[in-house]
Amino acid sequence: MDTDLLSIEDLSVVIRRPGREVAALSGVTLRVGRGEVVGLVGESGGGKSMVARSIVGLLPGGSLASGAVRFEGDDVLRMDDDALRRHRGHGAAICFQNPRGALSPTRTVGRQLTDRLTTHQRLTGAEARKAAEEQFATVGIRSPRRRLDAYPHELSGGMAQRVMISLATGCAPGLLIADEPTTGLDVTLTREILRRFRLAADTDGRGVLLISHDLASIAGVCDRVVVLYAGTVVESGPAARVLGRPAHPYTRALLRSVPDVDGRAVVATPGAMPLLKAAPRDCPFAPRCAHATAACTSERPPVSWVPGAAGDWTLACFHPRTDELAREEPAAESSGRGGAAKEPVLEVDDAHVVYRSRFGTGGHAALRGVSLRVAAGETLGVVGESGCGKSTLAKLLLGLVPAARGDVRVAGSRMSALRGRELRRLRTRVQMVFQDPIGSLSPRRTVADAIAEPLRALGLSAARRAERVEALADRLKLDRSMLARHPHELSGGQAQRVCIARALAGEPDVLVFDEPTSALDVTVQAQILEVIADVVRDPARGSVFISHDLATVRGFADRVIVLYLGRIVEEGPVEEVFGNPRHPYTRALLSSAPSLGDGFSGPKITLTEDLDDTEAAGPGCPLAARCPFADDRCRTEEQELRPYGNTRAACRRVPEIPDLLKGSDIRV
Amino acid sequence: MRIVRFLVRRLLQLVPVLLGVVVLTFLLVRVLPGDPIRTILGPNATPEDAAAARARYGLDQPIVHQFLDYLGGLVTGDLGTSIQSGTSVGAEIGLRVGPTFELVVLALAVALVVAVLLGVWSARHADRAGDHGVRLLALVGNSMPEFWLGLVLILVGYSVLGWFPAPSGRVDPDANLTPLTGADLLDAALTLNGPAFGSALAHLILPVATLSIVVVAPLLRSVRASALEVLHSEPYVAATAHGLSGRTLLRGYLLRATLARLPSLAALVFGTSIGSTVLVEYVFSWQGFGQWALRGLLYRDYPVVQASVLVIAFCYVVVFLVADVVQAVLDPRVQI
Repeated sequence: MDTDLLSIEDLSVVIRRPGREVAALSGVTLRVGRGEVVGLVGESGGGKSMVARSIVGLLPGGSLASGAVRFEGDDVLRMDDDALRRHRGHGAAICFQNPRGALSPTRTVGRQLTDRLTTHQRLTGAEARKAAEEQFATVGIRSPRRRLDAYPHELSGGMAQRVMISLATGCAPGLLIADEPTTGLDVTLTREILRRFRLAADTDGRGVLLISHDLASIAGVCDRVVVLYAGTVVESGPAARVLGRPAHPYTRALLRSVPDVDGRAVVATPGAMPLLKAAPRDCPFAPRCAHATAACTSERPPVSWVPGAAGDWTLACFHPRTDELAREEPAAESSGRGGAAKEPVLEVDDAHVVYRSRFGTGGHAALRGVSLRVAAGETLGVVGESGCGKSTLAKLLLGLVPAARGDVRVAGSRMSALRGRELRRLRTRVQMVFQDPIGSLSPRRTVADAIAEPLRALGLSAARRAERVEALADRLKLDRSMLARHPHELSGGQAQRVCIARALAGEPDVLVFDEPTSALDVTVQAQILEVIADVVRDPARGSVFISHDLATVRGFADRVIVLYLGRIVEEGPVEEVFGNPRHPYTRALLSSAPSLGDGFSGPKITLTEDLDDTEAAGPGCPLAARCPFADDRCRTEEQELRPYGNTRAACRRVPEIPDLLKGSDIRV
Repeated sequence: MRIVRFLVRRLLQLVPVLLGVVVLTFLLVRVLPGDPIRTILGPNATPEDAAAARARYGLDQPIVHQFLDYLGGLVTGDLGTSIQSGTSVGAEIGLRVGPTFELVVLALAVALVVAVLLGVWSARHADRAGDHGVRLLALVGNSMPEFWLGLVLILVGYSVLGWFPAPSGRVDPDANLTPLTGADLLDAALTLNGPAFGSALAHLILPVATLSIVVVAPLLRSVRASALEVLHSEPYVAATAHGLSGRTLLRGYLLRATLARLPSLAALVFGTSIGSTVLVEYVFSWQGFGQWALRGLLYRDYPVVQASVLVIAFCYVVVFLVADVVQAVLDPRVQI
């Protein structure tokens, strides 16, 4: 039997810096075979990136590695410089997270690809350019010849990720390592990008190590998964089994923390991953584990076979779980609250927002005629791909960008009619929770100061402020000792609690959540979602929840609107929109949403092409270029929102679509 | 086309800047204590002599009148008449700017090349002995006063070793150089005067060396810092992780990204050098612009001071314009 492509044996990495010591990896063992896709999952700090770096011999300064990283039999940790240079790229190539940051800004992407081709495939300049063009075409870049001469900053996020993949595959590696390749990408793109990795394994016979915190996305493409926690492998085995019926409590916690489009409830696990100073002597998950016993805290559980399971399925736990992962029914409480009958706290009427270009005329229309209303006690979900105008809508609601046309009314007052002090007063009625919790807190102010900010704007006395701040801290389960700290001393989850407390402080009429959990780790995400679910239940307040993640929105929105290129394409009660989508775009979004369960149950459609707003500039339906059902009238006629049942959709062919689908999945 | 529009726009901005400089220097030079007429006539002149001289240079007129006269002259290209020498300021500048420009441009070019080579090398060998040595040397060069450094170089290069000509001008008078631009090396090259070229080059070496040693330190430090930053940046690490060869890494991923941050600092150094070569010029009897401007200031020669400030301001604006264009060429993200 020939050796595995990659075989990591008992790898431990300790990073020593003056004043601190971190055990990044402790006894990690895993392997990747040729033509195999292995998922490496876990939360940040678990050591995923450290595994990737050790495979290409790029450990950070001050790190001490023991064990072995065998690549085709040779130990990477003991290679000399020449062997390492040959191994990097040609042996194992990394597809970096944040592709835009990892592409050199001063070199055209074509040159960056030909550099790899000439180095590893020994092509001459002209051959390399031709090969580069083909390479670009295979990763799905349109007009590849033109793109060769583009600089990275001229590319969209999805395009940059494709270029990054082409760079990594251009090295013709035996092993392709993808470090969080889909972070920040839309659902449709995520699916498409992950398919590329599956293809690399199936058609080129490469080994693929897919690093991700997003279990649902990678579930479909991986053969096996390895779950890391605090630098140790806690579970490893065939993807379908590990993700379907996980045996380790941590894997189960991870899975239960992920909201799913099929609407099942999220169960949060308390606590956070510890930062280990030395290799653990006990089970690192024990403090958070509901099944932990005395043995778990006194001894490190050995890696063993999962009892009664066939195949290559191991875990490190004294108390493996064998029962079915409890699937709770969709939470029924969100519906039937009847918020719509109440007084609207927020109304947007045919709002257009145009970003002018810096010089000269023209500009970019970010919102084109959006109307919505949110009643007190109601939660409105806003979903769409990046670039669809979600963030502009948030800014508009807060009065941070002016509407070129149309109007925003908060608690009955028209925002555009007010100036100066009155406008500032009205703005305190709408509060926002941002995506990056630590970045949205001033680094020089304490937590108590940050929470009290809106109260100071309202002119409350210091004593009253302190009282309110403490009450808010208690409500959000923030320890009072936390109030004197500064943002850099907080974890992401704590910081997001502080941000929510700050938003609540002034008792606003409207809360806007702009992707509040997408920067957080999976288990922390679940904890924050619980907090938000509690906050939006307040009957006096309306909430707007913006997210590209459909599953999160489904969890607690009453109604949902779907945005596409600055227009609302569908609007209606959440169960209706998710259960029976009318607009083809909504159906496509739901079809490509990753799911660990059954996912979207209706007939699916897929849009493969990238969102490109130059094409939508003309008249007609903006989706026409990507829609499988578009005909000539769609391309020329402006689409208005029309009522279908109790939802509204901007598509003239909605009544015909069930026939067009005929129960079969359609790909474009 | 874009670049032409950018240039035109920036050159139009030059007008208000220079106008402001003209007004300010015109006023400031008159606020300074001292009187140009007293200085040129000496202590024994009678008040009548002084009044006559004042009238001759128009200094008896109301200040607004004087300013309008001066401005009118500027529009027609007349920079006025030197009170001290009685010749046209424009003609004198013509003689003086060339040599100084040649000195500064060459010194900066040498300094830039040295700074880039040593800076990048230093960053690639960061925190090793060579890196510390390079930084220490740059610091030493930067902390030596230029007149002293010039004297030491003369002592070693001329007196002791005898490799270089005496510090007594810019070119051997026997070489029969026909002045065209005032920049002797350039003139010699243009007139194909071989001996003059050699002589001018030999005369240039020591002053250029002095000036470069003095200005190289900030450039070197900046290059080293940005090269280090690039070396630790994600794109560079990514390129390394893909196993590219050292040469490709250096040329394709390190150099241009490093240089993209240099132009604005280089422009600043260039601008300062134009005004501050005066000590080097004194030491090497260069008869350049700095020396001339300083003498004008000492004698309160109003037209000379005004003209020299104007020239320096003009150079600053043009050099920064060039720096912006170079930056845009080096860094594709910069839009102009």
